[in-house]
Amino acid sequence: MLLEHKQDSLAQDTLLVIRGLSVSLGRNEILADVDLTVRRGCIHALIGPNGAGKTTLIRSILGGMPHVGTIRFFFHGDGTIGYVPQFLDFDRSVPITVSDFIGLMLQDFPLFIGTRKTTRGLVQEIISATECDHLMDRMMGGLSGGEFRRVLLAQALHPVPELLLLDEPASNMDEVGTRQFERLLVKLKERHGLSILMVGHDIQRILALADHVTAINRTVIFDGKPDELEDPSKVAALFGLSSLPHDSSLEKGPS
Amino acid sequence: MDWIYHLIAGWAEAGFLPSIFQHTFMIRGLLAAILIGPLLGAIGTVVVTKKLAFFTQTIGNAAMSGVAIGLLFGEPIDGTYAGLYGFCLIVALVMTFIKNRSRLSNDTIIGVVLAQVLGIGIVLMILVTSQFNIHQVEAILFGSLITLNDTDLITLLAAAGAAGIMFMLTFNRVMLSSFNPVLAKARGLNPVFLEYLFVTLMTIVVVASLKLIGALLVLVLIVVPAAGAQNIVHNLRQFIWVSILFATISTTVGLLLSGLLPVPSGAVIVLVSSLLFYGSLMVKAIFIRRQ
Repeated sequence: MLLEHKQDSLAQDTLLVIRGLSVSLGRNEILADVDLTVRRGCIHALIGPNGAGKTTLIRSILGGMPHVGTIRFFFHGDGTIGYVPQFLDFDRSVPITVSDFIGLMLQDFPLFIGTRKTTRGLVQEIISATECDHLMDRMMGGLSGGEFRRVLLAQALHPVPELLLLDEPASNMDEVGTRQFERLLVKLKERHGLSILMVGHDIQRILALADHVTAINRTVIFDGKPDELEDPSKVAALFGLSSLPHDSSLEKGPS
Repeated sequence: MDWIYHLIAGWAEAGFLPSIFQHTFMIRGLLAAILIGPLLGAIGTVVVTKKLAFFTQTIGNAAMSGVAIGLLFGEPIDGTYAGLYGFCLIVALVMTFIKNRSRLSNDTIIGVVLAQVLGIGIVLMILVTSQFNIHQVEAILFGSLITLNDTDLITLLAAAGAAGIMFMLTFNRVMLSSFNPVLAKARGLNPVFLEYLFVTLMTIVVVASLKLIGALLVLVLIVVPAAGAQNIVHNLRQFIWVSILFATISTTVGLLLSGLLPVPSGAVIVLVSSLLFYGSLMVKAIFIRRQ
């Protein structure tokens, strides 16, 4: 009773409410009794060690993960969810350019027969939103980590999503690329009033960027404002890769 | 159909084609090559992207069982369509189902099924025909141009038409979900359904090309043109068209050459496609610098 009451009062700026979410793969319990509330217009960071179930949580929100518990959205519009995957595990030798990749999502007419005029203009518009104009004719397989992320972000912003899910890779990103990506993210958030739920690995960075932080390790171990984590280095130590026995392969889950 | 045969036989008589094209079976072969080449090239690009090459081989091997099952149910020896398409489709769909439902890798599943369906096929074949006829086995493995008949051609035309239309209608979505199923799902596609659809389409094309190319070699003609195209192209559009071009040159030129040499058509077709592959490698080495 009390819980329902609380939810109603939250509903104005609440975008996503997860209650008692558990996900198991075989005998492995990947997520146990996770509660999470994402507010509109926030950058909400999800942190935790490898194998903590962050990617599984993102996939559960996207749908298609068998789970126990409830995932409720409070969308005002058509409920578009944008998704930036951790990586695309495709064969890097496949000859597909950035504009092909975006084009595939924009038209049903087979891309190898022709690109519609409207598609061409739209591709240009979409990739320029994340400063990728110059990458248009480059091969996807030849992009740097940072460029690749910006292309993936570009597709997730069309149509403008009510919720943007970002699954950030733990590695494969250079310093400059990371900074550029973050700067872009903040700019886009302000321009479109985006609500972002992002998986982060660099704790110091995340704390500077995020409005709200949830730390999970199978279940929620911290939830609050970044500054409530008095000593961020403690958290970083807690989540140090070597200090935890979890296997990162668990994170991938079934594909 | 006769007017086509007369027309092409006329070209052979006039010396535009090797004289063996005065024979109807060679003309049928040529028509089959023109029909199936572009399709093999086109679906090859997706097969390479999805890493399904040996999946294709398994379907080819399943053809052995398919023929035997067709015979078992009383289909004529030169027209075991229900057995072939039926069994190969079942194998392809069951393999896709296992892949989606278990944690076994694609490689492992293929390893298990690949040899199995060949073994079952040979056992069934001997039981059904009550004698071991190596020519029947050979015909399936290496293709059998001489037994290609009008019904085969019409079946091929229907299969090619259906597969071609399906390919066009689903290409963008299938390609996108090959890159990342989760991303495709987030964009409102159904990657699992699309995978089943593509596997069905692929099976139809593989089975349709068996008489021309044979079960053992069909894999080559799906993978090699796409791999060759990959060497020299710069975007998706070129990828598809160059692969189609390579596959079509392989089937038609291979068939023309097999008319001049006393060897099976499938083998020459494969050799031509290999030449194109090495040629594209050389072109890449000499002219193209990748970023």
